[in-house]
Amino acid sequence: MGNEFALDIQELQFRYRGTDALVIDLPALSLLPGEQVLLKGGSGTGKSTLLQIIAGLIDPASGRVTVAGQDMHALHGADRDRFRGSHLGMIFQTFNLLQGFTAAENVLAALMFSDVPRPRHRARVQELLGSLGIARPDLLVEQLSVGQQQRVAVARAVACRPAIVLADEPTASLDPENAESAIELIQRTCRETGAALLCTSHDPVMVKRFDRVEDLVKLHARAGVRDE
Amino acid sequence: MRGRGFVMNDFTIIRRSLSARRLSTVFTSLSVAVAVALMLLLLMMRDSGRAAFERGTGNMHLLVSADSDPLTAILNSVFLAAPPRRPIEHAKFEQLARGPWEWFIPTQIGDSYQGLPVFATTPEFFTKFKPDPQEPWKLSTGRFFDKNFEVVLGARAAQETGLKLGDKIALTHGMPMSRTEGADGAAVAAPHVHDEFKFEVVGILQPTGGAHDRAVITGLTSAWILHAHDRREKAEHEHEHEHEGAADHDHAAHDHHEELTTEADLIDSDRKITGIYARVITRPGADSSAMIPVVFNQLRADPSITVAQPTQEIDKLFRIVGSVDRILIAMAGVVAASSGISILLALYNSMEQRRRQIAVLRVLGASAVRIFRLVLAESLVLGAIGAAAGIAIALLGARIVASEMKARLGLVIEPAITPTLGFAVAGGAVLLAGAAGLLPAVVAYRTSVAKNLRPLG
Repeated sequence: MGNEFALDIQELQFRYRGTDALVIDLPALSLLPGEQVLLKGGSGTGKSTLLQIIAGLIDPASGRVTVAGQDMHALHGADRDRFRGSHLGMIFQTFNLLQGFTAAENVLAALMFSDVPRPRHRARVQELLGSLGIARPDLLVEQLSVGQQQRVAVARAVACRPAIVLADEPTASLDPENAESAIELIQRTCRETGAALLCTSHDPVMVKRFDRVEDLVKLHARAGVRDE
Repeated sequence: MRGRGFVMNDFTIIRRSLSARRLSTVFTSLSVAVAVALMLLLLMMRDSGRAAFERGTGNMHLLVSADSDPLTAILNSVFLAAPPRRPIEHAKFEQLARGPWEWFIPTQIGDSYQGLPVFATTPEFFTKFKPDPQEPWKLSTGRFFDKNFEVVLGARAAQETGLKLGDKIALTHGMPMSRTEGADGAAVAAPHVHDEFKFEVVGILQPTGGAHDRAVITGLTSAWILHAHDRREKAEHEHEHEHEGAADHDHAAHDHHEELTTEADLIDSDRKITGIYARVITRPGADSSAMIPVVFNQLRADPSITVAQPTQEIDKLFRIVGSVDRILIAMAGVVAASSGISILLALYNSMEQRRRQIAVLRVLGASAVRIFRLVLAESLVLGAIGAAAGIAIALLGARIVASEMKARLGLVIEPAITPTLGFAVAGGAVLLAGAAGLLPAVVAYRTSVAKNLRPLG
């Protein structure tokens, strides 16, 4: 099951270790290949936690997360890391670029841990950064403008041609004008590379840019789930 | 697009991480370098110092002298440290020579040429004694002496004086800078040059690395004639004093003395021998003999002489020196341990700043094991840089120490890093660095991805 989905979540529950309260209780959520979904919800609704469970960075209490046909939590250790590096892209509010490395190296870093054969890395990075308007990929990321850093972060997320890109509040630290162009960039890039996009935000302006909007609070099954 | 920054692999990550903490990298690898250099220098010096001492005694079994103790005997008569205080009586020499010897070579030191020791001996010194058990003396030019007033120069003596074959030199009776007591125990006049006797350079030896390299080697009879001349001159002085009374005479002005001393003028007390190189008869091909301890004990019972077994004395010397260099090597070990700790601290402290970087690499697909290896590799690189720098410092330091030893002590040491020593010490440093990197690597391995990805603030 789930093979036709970029992402398929079934009966997912999560609670912090040593606590009883469920932080996430998600009966179902699926994204088709290339589909773009905005996940609404105020801070503290477990949006970031959900994305980290999907990425296999933390384990759920129960349930199943399937990414590109693979049960993420059936994989362990280095296998799961490699699968994440090859099939999943992540974009963060603070970009989380590797400081002290060039723009090109930041994108190359996403490829060096993936299944993409090494000889293709250079060409793919040049193509991606070129199409995103990074004229100087040899500059350290801290020498780039905020807008350019955002582009490098997007390039890095799609470098391995992932099945899905998870974007965690990608525009939260930007002013409205830049936020608009940033989300435009993310959506366009995902569309061009064929990646599905699951984007979290509590910014109401974002709603109009997505065909499908889900409210995490409403998706949650039981009243026990924390809501601020 | 320019090429820079288009290669990304584990080494790029390590290099960037090291250069981001440039100062800390320089100092931690420097501390490893100091430890490696210290360790190498000490081990190198110990080995080459020992080799320098072992080279001198060659195929000699026993050394006989009238020094106060065997170690002094070896240092004086083999390493030419100072002239022995007392000579062996000539009658004693002739008595001893009747032992079970393969050879029994008399030697005498006490004279000098431009500060270099004059080593007087018989031609057998060249034909029977070998400075290295496997290597007899070899001439780089000329021949060994066979007449009186001929000298053969050790390789370094030739190099230092610049003398060539056919050059004529005058020897100095006595040693400058050494005690002014003669071999007979009596105070003698300040060292003076015997211009009236010209010695001809007839041969120059190839270097052996031993103390004889800096000797001017001449025939024993020639040295005796110099002494006999002094004796006769002194007697004549006294004679003149008796006749002329108060007049003050310049000892160096020999113009009144017209008759040169010859071999015919020698009396037994001129025939001074300060040391005897001896080898007991052995079976052909054997280097040792059961007779050695027997002869040794027999000679030891004679209170008028001192007998030494060179190998034992050098062992004794190195046992004394050994306890000092064990302390030094232990100190080098402490420096090594502290450099290990400095690597540990440098990496451990950097972990705080690198949590985010580690989390990002994990998101990008790096496994925890890969992160562990990256940090471990980083400390190994620090260790390797330090080891390489340490080897360079050690080689440089060894050259400085060796030239100082040569200039100040005249001791030729040839410090060299054998591949075994180099690999052992460098490998040890890298392993130490690796061990120091383990804890930081474990911290990196356990770094929580989820916690460190949270947006700051």
